[in-house]
Amino acid sequence: MPDTNQVSTDPLRNEAPVTALDRAPPEAPTRARALLRTIEPYLYLLPALLLVGGLLLYSVAHTFAISFTDWDLITPPRFVGLKNYIDAVRDPTFTRSFTNTLVWTGGSLLLPVAGGLLLAVVLERIPGQRILKTLIYLPAILSTTVVAAIWSYVYTNNGVLNETLRWVGLEALARPWLVFAPTNTLAMIVASSWRALGPSMVLFLVGLQTIPPELIEAAKIDGAGERILFWRIKLPLLRPITAIVVIMSVIGSFMTFDLVWVMTQGGPGRSSETLAVTMYRQAFIMWRMGYAGAVAVILSTIVIAFSIFYLRATLKRSAL
Amino acid sequence: MIKRWSIRQLALERYLALALLCLFTTVWVTPLAIVALSSMKTPIEQSQSGILALPENAAMILDNIASASELAGIGNGLLSSLLYAFVGSATAVIAASSAAYSIAMLKIRFPFFWFLIIYSGTIFPFQMYLMPLFGLYQSVDLYDTRFGMLLFYSAIAVPFCIFVFRNYFIGLQGEVIEAASLDGASSFQTYLRVVLPMAKTAALFLFVTQFSWIWNDFLFGQVLAKSDDVRPVMTSLATLSGTYGKGTIPQQMAGALTASIPTLILFFALQKHFMQGLILNTAGE
Repeated sequence: MPDTNQVSTDPLRNEAPVTALDRAPPEAPTRARALLRTIEPYLYLLPALLLVGGLLLYSVAHTFAISFTDWDLITPPRFVGLKNYIDAVRDPTFTRSFTNTLVWTGGSLLLPVAGGLLLAVVLERIPGQRILKTLIYLPAILSTTVVAAIWSYVYTNNGVLNETLRWVGLEALARPWLVFAPTNTLAMIVASSWRALGPSMVLFLVGLQTIPPELIEAAKIDGAGERILFWRIKLPLLRPITAIVVIMSVIGSFMTFDLVWVMTQGGPGRSSETLAVTMYRQAFIMWRMGYAGAVAVILSTIVIAFSIFYLRATLKRSAL
Repeated sequence: MIKRWSIRQLALERYLALALLCLFTTVWVTPLAIVALSSMKTPIEQSQSGILALPENAAMILDNIASASELAGIGNGLLSSLLYAFVGSATAVIAASSAAYSIAMLKIRFPFFWFLIIYSGTIFPFQMYLMPLFGLYQSVDLYDTRFGMLLFYSAIAVPFCIFVFRNYFIGLQGEVIEAASLDGASSFQTYLRVVLPMAKTAALFLFVTQFSWIWNDFLFGQVLAKSDDVRPVMTSLATLSGTYGKGTIPQQMAGALTASIPTLILFFALQKHFMQGLILNTAGE
C-alpha cells in the first residue's frame, strides 16, 4: 500500500535528467505543472496517513462507537446508550479486574521503578558496572511471551521455585503460585519486573550521569553522608527522569495483557484478570463487543490522562 | 587519621556492595541458564534430575525444537515473524521518513496538524484497535493472511518513527535546503540523495527497535491470524506455554530459546542502538 504511492511519484522524477549542470532552465509553468507543484509535497504524507488513518485511527473511532451498542458480531449492532458503561461499573468481575490493575500499577512502581533507582545508585559507583548492567538488562530483550513461558515453569507445582524452596528446607513455603488470588497476581508482577527492571535502571543511570560531579564533591566536603546525598541531592535532581519512568510504568501496567494471558488467561475463575484481559475475554471469547468496547474506552481514558502528564514531562525535558 | 579511616571504610563498603550486586545478578540471570539447561533434556530427565543438573545429551535440544515446531508451528512462526519484522519495519521507516520529510522540509499547509494526526497513533492502548481490525480484516479477506499482518505491523510502527524523523529533520532543515537548492535538485531527489543518507543513523536505530517490537508481538498475532502458516512466532509459542499450554517443559523452553535468538543476536550486535533507543523512547512513546 505505501509502496505503490512511493513508486507512483517515482517516474516523474526519473525521466528528468539528473545533475544540476545539464538541467534545462525552468520552463514556463503550465497549469498542470503548477497543480502538481502544490500537490506533490502531500504525496509524501500519503503512505503514512493511509496506514495510520486507515487502520489505527479508524479503529479508535469505531471502538468508541461500538461501546454504545449491543453487538455480537452476527446480528447488527443495536444502540443502547451508556448501558455497557453502567453494566461494567456494576459488574463485580470488572471491579476485581480494575483492582488487579491497580495492584499491578503499585507493584510495578515498587519493584522495577524503586528497585531500578536503588540499583542505579549502587551500581553507579561500582567498578565493572558495564557487565553487571548488561546482565541485568538481558531479560528486557526477551518478549513478554518468552518471559511468561519461563516464569510459568518457575511457578508450576514441581517448578523451579517450589523445588528450590524444598531444597533449602523451606518446604512450608512451597505452594501453587498461580492458583489463588492475590498470590497469582503478585507472582506475575514479579515475573514482569524481571523484564522491566533493566530499562528503568539504565534510565536512572543516564539521569545520574547528568548530575554535575562538582555538586556531589561540594556536598561531600560539607560532610554530607551517602543518605543525605541521595535524598537531598540525587533524588531531587533526578526528578524529570523519575517522572518519565513512573508515568511509563503506570501506562505499561494499565496495558498489561500478554503476560497474564499466556500464564493464567486471567484465571482461575477470572481471579487474575486485568482490564486489558477483561476486554479481550469479553470481545473474543464471549463476543460481547459493546461491553468490550466500553472497557477499552475506560482503559484508554486512564492511559491518555497519564500520557498527557507524560508528554508534559518530556516536553519540559526537551526544552532544557 | 580520620580521613584515611573513612577512605578505607568507603573501599570496604564498595566491595561489600560489589559482592552483593554480583550475587543479585547471578540470581537474576539464573532463569536464563535454566531455560538453556531444560531445553536440552528429555521430559523424563527434566522431571527427575535437579533443575541445575547438566543435561545428559545436549543434542536433545534439536529434538525438542523439532517436536515443539511440529506441535505448535514454531518453525513456520519463525519464518513469518522474520518476514513481518523485516518488511514491516522497513515499510514503516520509508513511509515515516517520507512523511516527516514533507512535514519538516516541504511547503505544506498545517504541518503540525499532519504530524499530530500521524503521531496520535502512539497514544491509544492496543485494546482500541482489536475489534475493528478483526471485523475489517474478516470483511475484506485480510484475516489470517501474511499481507494483512504486514500491513498492520507497518502501520503500528509508523507513529513512533515519524516522531523521531521529524525531530531529526527539523534539526537538519537549513543545511539540506541549502545544499539542494544549490544544485537545483527536485524534491524527490533531495529526499533520496540528501535527506535519507543523512538520516541513516536514525533509520537504522528505528529499524532495529521496530524489528524487535514486531518480532516480540503476541497480541495482534493472536487476534488477526489463526493458522500455523500465518501466525507470528510468539503467538505460536504461547500455545505451548503457560497454565493452558500443550507442550512439555523441555519443548516450551526450547521454543522460548529459539524464538529469542534473533533479538538476542540483534542486541549483542547493536547494543549501543538498543540503549540509545531506550533513551529516545522516553522522549517518544
